Amino acid sequence: MSTDHNFSVVGKSLPRSDGRIKAVGAAQYADDIFLPGMLFGKLLRSPVAHARIKSIDTSAAEALPGVKCVITGQDIPKVKYGNWRLVPESQDEYALAIDKVRFIGDEVAAVAALDKDSAEEAIRLIKVEYEELPGAYSVEESLADNAPVIHDEYHQDIPNISLDRKIEYGDLDKAFAEADLVLDDVFTVHATSHAYMEPCSCVAEYDHDGRLTIWTSTQAPYFVQCLLASTLEMRENDIRVIKPFVGGGFGGKMEMRPWEFCAAFIARKLGRPVKFTLTREEELATGRRRHPMRIHSKVGFSKEGMLLAKEFNVHLDGGAYNSMGPTACFLCGNFGAMLYNYPNYRYYGAHVYTNKPPAGAMRGFGAPQALFVAETQMNVAAEKLGIDPVDIRLMNAMETGDEIPGVATISSCGFKESLIKVAEMTNWREKRKNLKPGQGLGLGCYSFISGGVFNWFNTRYNFTSAEVRAFDDGTVHLMTMASDIGQGCDTVLRQILAEELGLKVSDIRLTAADTAVTPQADLGTWGSRVTLMAGNAVRKAAQEIKEELFRMVSLKFDLNVIHDLRCGDGKIYPANRPDRAVPFGEAVRMAQRAKRGEPVIGYGSYTPRNKGLVTPAFSFGAQVAECEVDKETGAVEVKFMTTAHDCGTPINPMSVEGQLEGSVHMGLGYALSEQFIMKEGKTLTTTFLDYKIPCAEDMPPGISVHVDTYEPDGPFGAKEAGEGLVSPTAPAIADAVYAATGYRCMDLPLTPQKVLAGMNKI
Amino acid sequence: MSLPQFTFLAPTSLSEACALLEKHQGTIKIKAGGTDMIVRLSHRAVKPDYLMSIKKIPGLDTISYAPDTGLTIGALALLRAVETSPLILENAPMLARAAHATATVQIRNMGTVLGNVCNASPSADNIPTLVAMHAAIVASNGTTEREIPIDEFFLGPGRTSLQANEIAIAIKVPPLAPKSGVSYQKISPRSKVDIAAVNIGALLTLDENEQCQAVRISMGAVGPTPLRAKQAETYLTDRKISDETLAAAGRLAAEDASPISDVRASREYRKLMVEVLTTRALKEAYGFAKN
Amino acid sequence: MKKELITLNINGDDHEIAVYPWRTLNEVLRDQLHLTGTKLGCGTGDCGACTVLLDGQSVSSCLTLAVEAQGQKITTIEGLALEAAANKDLEKCELDPIQESFIAKGAIQCGFCTPGMIMSTKFLLDHTPKPTEAEIRAGLSGNLCRCTGYNKIVDAIADAAEKISPTK
Repeated sequence: MSTDHNFSVVGKSLPRSDGRIKAVGAAQYADDIFLPGMLFGKLLRSPVAHARIKSIDTSAAEALPGVKCVITGQDIPKVKYGNWRLVPESQDEYALAIDKVRFIGDEVAAVAALDKDSAEEAIRLIKVEYEELPGAYSVEESLADNAPVIHDEYHQDIPNISLDRKIEYGDLDKAFAEADLVLDDVFTVHATSHAYMEPCSCVAEYDHDGRLTIWTSTQAPYFVQCLLASTLEMRENDIRVIKPFVGGGFGGKMEMRPWEFCAAFIARKLGRPVKFTLTREEELATGRRRHPMRIHSKVGFSKEGMLLAKEFNVHLDGGAYNSMGPTACFLCGNFGAMLYNYPNYRYYGAHVYTNKPPAGAMRGFGAPQALFVAETQMNVAAEKLGIDPVDIRLMNAMETGDEIPGVATISSCGFKESLIKVAEMTNWREKRKNLKPGQGLGLGCYSFISGGVFNWFNTRYNFTSAEVRAFDDGTVHLMTMASDIGQGCDTVLRQILAEELGLKVSDIRLTAADTAVTPQADLGTWGSRVTLMAGNAVRKAAQEIKEELFRMVSLKFDLNVIHDLRCGDGKIYPANRPDRAVPFGEAVRMAQRAKRGEPVIGYGSYTPRNKGLVTPAFSFGAQVAECEVDKETGAVEVKFMTTAHDCGTPINPMSVEGQLEGSVHMGLGYALSEQFIMKEGKTLTTTFLDYKIPCAEDMPPGISVHVDTYEPDGPFGAKEAGEGLVSPTAPAIADAVYAATGYRCMDLPLTPQKVLAGMNKI
Repeated sequence: MSLPQFTFLAPTSLSEACALLEKHQGTIKIKAGGTDMIVRLSHRAVKPDYLMSIKKIPGLDTISYAPDTGLTIGALALLRAVETSPLILENAPMLARAAHATATVQIRNMGTVLGNVCNASPSADNIPTLVAMHAAIVASNGTTEREIPIDEFFLGPGRTSLQANEIAIAIKVPPLAPKSGVSYQKISPRSKVDIAAVNIGALLTLDENEQCQAVRISMGAVGPTPLRAKQAETYLTDRKISDETLAAAGRLAAEDASPISDVRASREYRKLMVEVLTTRALKEAYGFAKN
Repeated sequence: MKKELITLNINGDDHEIAVYPWRTLNEVLRDQLHLTGTKLGCGTGDCGACTVLLDGQSVSSCLTLAVEAQGQKITTIEGLALEAAANKDLEKCELDPIQESFIAKGAIQCGFCTPGMIMSTKFLLDHTPKPTEAEIRAGLSGNLCRCTGYNKIVDAIADAAEKISPTK
């Protein structure tokens, strides 16, 4: 499917366009913004996991000098919110608790004061009387008879199950009856933190024109705009959301959050700018996290190694609110049937409320959990059937054109090539046979989506859009609501535009992620949607401009209608007569003249249609981890990671590599060291001393290659890169630890303690 | 989180500092590098009315060595200085290893070895080696000095035998007897930069027959204060060193450890790690002692 | 409680300011002087985003009392390429070789850890001009990054070291 690879800008490892401003420390993040007269906000959070609020006394806080405003749930509109606007009853949060608190950290009141010290002091002076209720801190506790009901007003038939989903195709009973090998295992996977380096922050300002402007650390300005509008009872167009530089998100910044509401509410009330910035402790103790899950997976194989059937039962520990849990519940079922052809499949997923900080979207979003289970069982099956783990995968691997019934068609797939490549690069077959004591080699694979199709936010706009304005000085201005949160889309979208118009990246000005300025709308940065979806919109906008300029050039040279025209080197020219080139700027001038002064503006949008319910395109890949285990201490050291992956055309290979290495880092932490230790709903690991993300010395060196594919639905053949790869690392490491120790991990993370327990040493 | 309010004191002499301690008893805290104190203030774990920095007191940052008295490390000697000091690297390299194992580069550029000792955290990196090496803390009340043997220094987590008007001004480490070796071993959940889940310091001295003449083993993070592995020490003394006797010493050390389960490790894991790390520490110390 | 009048020398300039004694250097740099290149990532000295140099030594500004930074030369990220910090036309400014290497080698993603990373690199290369890979990784022990997986940062530092002290 590979087509024209003679790109001039796409496929080049250009340094990021915001590299210099970030390197000199001039990039402004939300907390770097200081406005005249600005107040500092602080939230009061619940110290108890489940309680009715009997009374709140704010008088002492209000009396403190410097305190300008104290608000509680009684002061705000009684409007619930949540990202799942498609199912309004699933929207289960108030910005400040009105009747009940449901987790330790639930927001109860907010203060704005002249300085941070006074705001913090005022928070300490608010007296809240709670009537404590019994709590449920795990899926098991929440589903037990007589469990406390966490949301009286919203649940399915079973209390505390907020939402469930079923998928079924084929004849499972028959297939299991015919299977030669049936694996039937229960896995548990744990919660982890996004641990983005920038704690959440926002500044809100209300102007004399009645418009609210908020600069906020967000991945999805449009969600914030819409949900602020509904909760503040304002019109969407009266709210302007600006995304400044954002210090990472990984899924953790894709909802409207209480501090955004409080900053906006108080700014409107007082007519003064208000800033809220979270502490790291707040982030770790109360912030969104990856869904812990209990997964019961039964999978059947023929003795030849063919997959026959899979039954996948998943309980998601969602914490106190839905957040993005419903999507996780849907996607986990899809990922459970990915990578391989499962002819018979049954999924039941249930999102369970517990009295813990809510789980939300996080890089991989349902895939790391589903694939830890699927890949581990694949490795177990390979061993039991005496087949090499690479071979059993090749036998069952998806290919281009395969279908997941009712869900999606695979439009490009380099999975088999990735498997073959990674086996070659690691000398897999030989090396596995010659492991030294304590050494292990393990395999894990992944697939991921390139943006979601299912419109749970119920947007009334196209999924992405772009506007390109061409200038007669040979430059263009790209306007897009796509949000660069560090992943580099400002650079990648420039590359796509430069390629399409034959310009240099430096000829492109970019304005992004300002809801008052950039074209409506874009759902934001999540689900690896930006490169494919925003990239397609940018390309379409550029194509509109091209069409217009081609007409001018055709006219100028009186070209025969069969002549093809090209953009390149800042010029427009007939394909067969490059000498007859018109500089881009001159063509723009001609077009403006022809239109008697109208500017040359292209508009493009993209919404996936007829692409199934999940995504327009899937990425694939395979990864091998080489580990050494200290069998006395249980410490696992990852020595090298080898990855072969299929992301379609890498628009910026250096950027793709950076994404992959970042994914390995997050996968490594997920596998080995990161976990929330909790006690009755209280998070005990609230600093980076105790919440252990890998540091530079923990990170293994590695190598990654991409296999050559071309995604027909992606811009210049591109699709997802850098999110899916968070999934294979944990199963690959767990498999390597098994090879080294004989301990097969079915309960993440693989702490030294668990490794020793798995070896029956403690 | 902003720090709580306090009055800041920065005396320029020991006598002035001790007088302030006396005057503000119960409401004053001392800081040197501050890397631990500032975090505790920020968490409101301590709320002193007065915070006294001793950084302006001259002469406390020295590191010196004399063959008869050994090493003296001043109260303001930074972790980084101890980690890189030629005197330490030559005469007590395990102190440099322990200093290097403490926290991060930035913290080592700010914090002091003696501060780490005086915080009396059960998991402090620098304590086990100092205990093994018979260190003594020099305390001053502004007029007189006394030496507190390190075995008598720790009373509980965060509690030491310093009097209310005393400041620890130095730590002394006597020279090693001939045929001695020292080791510091540590394990933590994140492999490299991390607080210890268990740490062990050991000093082993051999007699002319290569038997164990004397041994001191200090265990960190397995009790409220650093614990000595007394059973293991008694067992090993006058015994021949072999893989078997070192393994047995490790098992006995685990018996003496009384760890708790917390966010960093479980009790069972800690006990087992005491055994493993003690054996490793003794083996390494033995290797140094032989040469 | 009274504020104290102090003078801080930051990037070569003296700033006379009134501060409470409990203010950290990080608070003064960011909230009072609006030198926001220095970040605050954790406030407990674990992440390194707030790293600055005090008389050439890398320290966590979140654990440093502002009153105690008097009399020392404070260098922040803004001080590494003074021209660039003042002159907004970044494309034309000369940056520190460390900054150039971070940009060229893809060591920057979200950029929030970057100022701290660069200041730690400055300290490392000032003391260890020819670091091994292990020394580079150890030199970053106090700087967390969630985006890059560190490997490109390690490459960038090796590249900068070679530029600053070329191998003969």
